[in-house]
Amino acid sequence: MNTKKLSLLTEIGRNAILALWAIFALFPLFWMVLITFKHDAEMYTTTFIFTPTLENYKAVLINTNYFKAFFDNIIVSGGAVLVSVLVGVPAAYALARYNFKKKEDLAFQILSFKFAPEILVILPLFMIYQKIRLFDTHIGLIWVYQLITMPLLIWVVRGYFEDINVEIEHAAQLDGYSWYHVFLKILLPLIKPGLVAAALLSFIFAWNSFTFPLLLSAFKVETVTVSVLKYLASDTVHYGQMAVAASVSALPEVILALIIQKHLVRGLSFGAVKG
Amino acid sequence: MARIELCNITKKFKKVTALDNINIDVKDKEFFVLFGPAGAGKTTILKTIAGIEFPDEGHVKIDGKIVNLVEPAKRNVSMVFENYALYPHISVFDNIASPMRSPLYKKDEETVKKEVYRVASMMKIDHLMERLPSQLSNGQRQRVALGRCLVREPNVFLMDEPIAHLDAKMRHFMRSELKEMQSSFNTTTIYVTHDYMEAMSLGDRIAIINEGKIEQIGSSDEVYYTPANEFVAKLLGEPEINIFPAELEMDGRGLKVRMLGQENLIDICDDVAKVLNKKGSGKLDVGIRGNDVKFSFEKIDDNYLKGTVYIVEPIGNKTVLTVSINKQLIRIIAPNDFRAEMDSSIYIKFNMDNAMFFNGEDKTFIIRHNQDHYLRR
Repeated sequence: MNTKKLSLLTEIGRNAILALWAIFALFPLFWMVLITFKHDAEMYTTTFIFTPTLENYKAVLINTNYFKAFFDNIIVSGGAVLVSVLVGVPAAYALARYNFKKKEDLAFQILSFKFAPEILVILPLFMIYQKIRLFDTHIGLIWVYQLITMPLLIWVVRGYFEDINVEIEHAAQLDGYSWYHVFLKILLPLIKPGLVAAALLSFIFAWNSFTFPLLLSAFKVETVTVSVLKYLASDTVHYGQMAVAASVSALPEVILALIIQKHLVRGLSFGAVKG
Repeated sequence: MARIELCNITKKFKKVTALDNINIDVKDKEFFVLFGPAGAGKTTILKTIAGIEFPDEGHVKIDGKIVNLVEPAKRNVSMVFENYALYPHISVFDNIASPMRSPLYKKDEETVKKEVYRVASMMKIDHLMERLPSQLSNGQRQRVALGRCLVREPNVFLMDEPIAHLDAKMRHFMRSELKEMQSSFNTTTIYVTHDYMEAMSLGDRIAIINEGKIEQIGSSDEVYYTPANEFVAKLLGEPEINIFPAELEMDGRGLKVRMLGQENLIDICDDVAKVLNKKGSGKLDVGIRGNDVKFSFEKIDDNYLKGTVYIVEPIGNKTVLTVSINKQLIRIIAPNDFRAEMDSSIYIKFNMDNAMFFNGEDKTFIIRHNQDHYLRR
């Protein structure tokens, strides 16, 4: 009886703490969505009662070229992740499987790209980009985004490759599969959870990147994060419009995460070899 | 079906020599066993044949053709890995079917299904076909791995301890099943084991490997009755063979040996004496297996040596009795109803007809009684 009561109490306590945390974490998002429906005049009131309006949506989505920025962002972030996957997966395989001189140094070097604050490298990059005409181009941004997306992807996927026993590859080769078949049929399904998770995270980092697109692009290529700045007018700050821009720009990440969720299964690789 | 030859294979892992000048010639359709302690290089030999490891020196030949530069996939060999190496993301059925669906050895789906179920029922895993490897016990996984190997008709089967992790009953069953299969399959098999019973019951020939070198290659009778050296003698047989130093002495009636610091000399057979005489002086070791020692609680004649009971281990169908004579421990096989007090006196007599004589310095085999008879069998 006593233990039952105790376990009930801990259950309630645990859920209460989780609920508290959820409110704490989700409230800013909720507030952001809320103010998208407010007039600028009501912006600083903290009551929940107001006359909702779609004015902000109209101002942002129809009257400005928000969607161009939105699609530019999709192109540069998606492109950056695609390049990272195409280059990073083979790199991760090599770092996991082969022994060569300075292997760990190289792996650390790749990771260290993420150490420096973006603002530190932006000035020389700005000059170089001007010179080689990568400034304000999609390719230029995709390239510089590799600093954000590639190290993460390589390190996560490398760990997954290291978890796969090399004898599974040998067995597949002896079964009569060429190396590409082994890679596509055996290795790729096994690293899929890691690859998907790392790619999603990379996409989020690239999507939310601000410093690089702010300074390395201007009018031809403009990302959502930069375009939000436009609603800081000289006379007033249009918080409602900023909130719309931010809320809409969060949608792709949310949708992607929901689609990918079922692929984020860990534990497939257990039981392959004696353990 | 193929003949497999390894010529002067040397393989080094950094500074460690894994294989040292290995020469093996496995005949077509032969069941060849590689036997040795852990870390001897048995698995490395298999992987060299499979093409997974590359020898630093020497040639691997399949049917007379040098295949050093042929990819593993194109060598048409089938291997069971010691740690199974199953594909974790596909079912047992797909695992076993995998070799028959590869671009190189493709069969139509009907044949695949038929063959997979034939092998699976042989391995007694046909009720597990839909499961993933992670949902199997180790013994079941091992049988899936064995099934994936046997489903093909390759040049050679390479088996790396394929039944080591099965329970004892299943292991005995699979051992006889493998032996039966060998006669019907007509395929060369190279089999790695560290279980001497598996080695002796399955192998047409056995190669004993130690520290990357071959100690001896021979039939199970040859390696058991005329081991090349003391290492081989100790590896085969349970309990381990008794090997101890002895001295040759001449008395009026011929050559005799003095063992275990005893007063009286023990007779040796004439054919053995002749060879030992030729060898002359030098250290000598005598090896006698546990079933060639008689024991009694009374001294029956002069050939019985006095010792004390050291350990009595009943192991089911027999008892291993360890007797201490002059600080030397002698392991003897006794009937399973044998009982004795610790430290009580006991008399033992060696059956010198079955004794083996080794060079005491380099530990190599010299002679045993009726040697030609064993080699002829």
